[in-house]
Amino acid sequence: MSVLEEAPPADGPGRGTAALRGRNSLPITEIRSGRGLFDLDLGAVWRFRELLTTLIVRDIKVLYRQAALGAAWAVFQPIFAVAIFTVVFGNFARIPSDGAPYAVFAFAAVLPWTYFAEAVRRSSLGLVQDAELVRKVYFPRLVMPLASVIAPLVDLAIAFVVLLVVMVLYGVAPTWRLIAIPPLVLVTALLALSLGLWLGPLNVRFRDVKHTLPFLLQVWMYASPVIYPLSLIPEHLRWFYSLNPMVGVIEGFRWALLSKGDPDVTALAIGAGMTVVLLAGGLIFFRRMERFFADLI
Amino acid sequence: MTKEIAICAEGLSKRYRLGSAGTAHDSLRDLLASGARALMGRGRTPRGNSQRQAFFALRDASFEILRGENVGIIGANGAGKSTLLKILSRIVEPTSGRALVAGRVGALLEVGTGFHGELTGRENIYLYGAILGMTQREIAAKFDAIVDFAEIEQFIDTPVKRYSSGMYVRLAFSVAAHLRPDILLLDEVLAVGDAAFQRKCMNFARELQRQEATILFVSHNMFSIKAMCTRVIYLQSGRIEYDGPTDPGIEIYERGAHLSVVPWSKDNPDDWAVELTDIELSDQAGKPKSVFDFGERMKIRLRFNARERLEAPNVMVAFVRSDGVASNVYATDTDKFVMGAVDGEGTLELTTSPLKLVAERYVIHVLFRMRGTQRLLCAQVGRSFHVRHEEFDPLNYGVFHEGGEWRLARARKFDEDFCESRNVAAP
Repeated sequence: MSVLEEAPPADGPGRGTAALRGRNSLPITEIRSGRGLFDLDLGAVWRFRELLTTLIVRDIKVLYRQAALGAAWAVFQPIFAVAIFTVVFGNFARIPSDGAPYAVFAFAAVLPWTYFAEAVRRSSLGLVQDAELVRKVYFPRLVMPLASVIAPLVDLAIAFVVLLVVMVLYGVAPTWRLIAIPPLVLVTALLALSLGLWLGPLNVRFRDVKHTLPFLLQVWMYASPVIYPLSLIPEHLRWFYSLNPMVGVIEGFRWALLSKGDPDVTALAIGAGMTVVLLAGGLIFFRRMERFFADLI
Repeated sequence: MTKEIAICAEGLSKRYRLGSAGTAHDSLRDLLASGARALMGRGRTPRGNSQRQAFFALRDASFEILRGENVGIIGANGAGKSTLLKILSRIVEPTSGRALVAGRVGALLEVGTGFHGELTGRENIYLYGAILGMTQREIAAKFDAIVDFAEIEQFIDTPVKRYSSGMYVRLAFSVAAHLRPDILLLDEVLAVGDAAFQRKCMNFARELQRQEATILFVSHNMFSIKAMCTRVIYLQSGRIEYDGPTDPGIEIYERGAHLSVVPWSKDNPDDWAVELTDIELSDQAGKPKSVFDFGERMKIRLRFNARERLEAPNVMVAFVRSDGVASNVYATDTDKFVMGAVDGEGTLELTTSPLKLVAERYVIHVLFRMRGTQRLLCAQVGRSFHVRHEEFDPLNYGVFHEGGEWRLARARKFDEDFCESRNVAAP
């Protein structure tokens, strides 16, 4: 891969640059190739925080624009998904639901999963979708996957309210355990972000990602306890199953919402650990790759 | 006190490898392997089987630009002009070398930058402003000025996907310009939009210039380069060929463009059936010159090489004003001149009518077309020449000048009417 080649080290600062640095009333930006491995320059993202909020608002606005039902889709989508799961898996296949009404049991998992899948999809494909921006304007590219992960939180919040209503209808009372939801959402968002940081740059280079992603997400959903309970997995395989970081998250949601059993701390710890590793690697990978985006996109 | 330096570039280079994008060679495995190497800090990919031809879009460019300077970047297509602007605006990274840039950079590279079709003009102004690094408060403060300048008041709440391309450009330029950048990079943007808006942009750019903004301006339009820039950087195949005052720079550029392909053609000149090998301009006595007096006849001698036998092609000689407008065209067909069959080398001579074009610089474009089918056989830029006249300039006399006959008719009657309507006695 040609463009990945490192440039020879630049010569020492010449007379001109010294003069420029010496007396200048304006802030100076240095343009050069290459950066240190851990020079993530997250400060740049902070400086562009206004762009981040603008992009988030744009994503939210654009999503339901020119849809006759508008934001009502955010309500219908999870309801449809849960209704189908309840009929097919709850009523026909009679999959156990750990004692809770199947609809509530499924909804508690569909909630984080829908958000996760949407956030991964958007953060992975967003760079290419906004190719015009990448090709023609400079800004820290990290802003794009960040916005992609934050924007669908609005849908999540709406779906959460719907879930509370459904819970009341089924006679499942929310408890103080709901306070566990925000940190769980944070873990989900960071996990989605880290996947976007890996898949986004890959998609810039190989559009295969776009075609593989729906398939990958579908497999991933069935590999997570969305339509069935964790208790269905044989005890001795649990640790392996829990290497899927979404296992801990989904079980955490069920624990917080359904008020049954104890939290699966091991699964959650494994999930959080995986997230941290993926995120750190993803940040480094993304920053390494972002300088070639405009050349390749 | 000496002026501050706004941009300082040292040995900027950008290398691309031909065919590197999307060829079968680039497998995911290759990428992961070299990505891993890069991550390990040993970035150099081993040569060997992945050796492909590299080319430098920009090579070892070094220059200093002072605050408030307006610099034109000129050169043929693919000479590296856009690459230079993209590096300075941080969209692409240089392969080697470095640059220091002082202050806020606003770049307008091509058109429509960053607009989202589903969003309205209003929303896009905020989006685009944020992309360019403005705060929401700054944008709100300048919102009216931006809309006003772009002349899109009544469409401000319409999704921009319904905008015309002209409205698009106007809005994009307007936002970028109101960013009040310390350095403004403009890439051929003014080539779109209508003449009135172009003039408006030029005035705005001059306004920015007065406020000590530095402007880098890429254009094929030597007219606007001359109007805006005191200095030009002429790029040829990625290298800086000339860096200095505008007029000699443009002259060198045009000498370089001699016999090159016309700017609007995307054909490969090797595929053309005819090649223009030389062009000579002289007065009627045959003395070569490049400045002609208004009313003088010009003799143009075209030497060409026909690579195949051609039945009586139609040859057109166009005088193109420096802003790209073809002002006068001679054609063998319209002059009922039939060349007969040509094959191999030949020389064609044209003696013009007395020149009536106003005093300006004109470039000669030469076109060979097949009669009937209009197949393009050749389209090359020949020489340029000046028309000299003390009075007839483009500003006051338009494109060409020809005298007319005047007569004052019904003067007496007019006076009577005039007086009657005023109720005063006729003189």
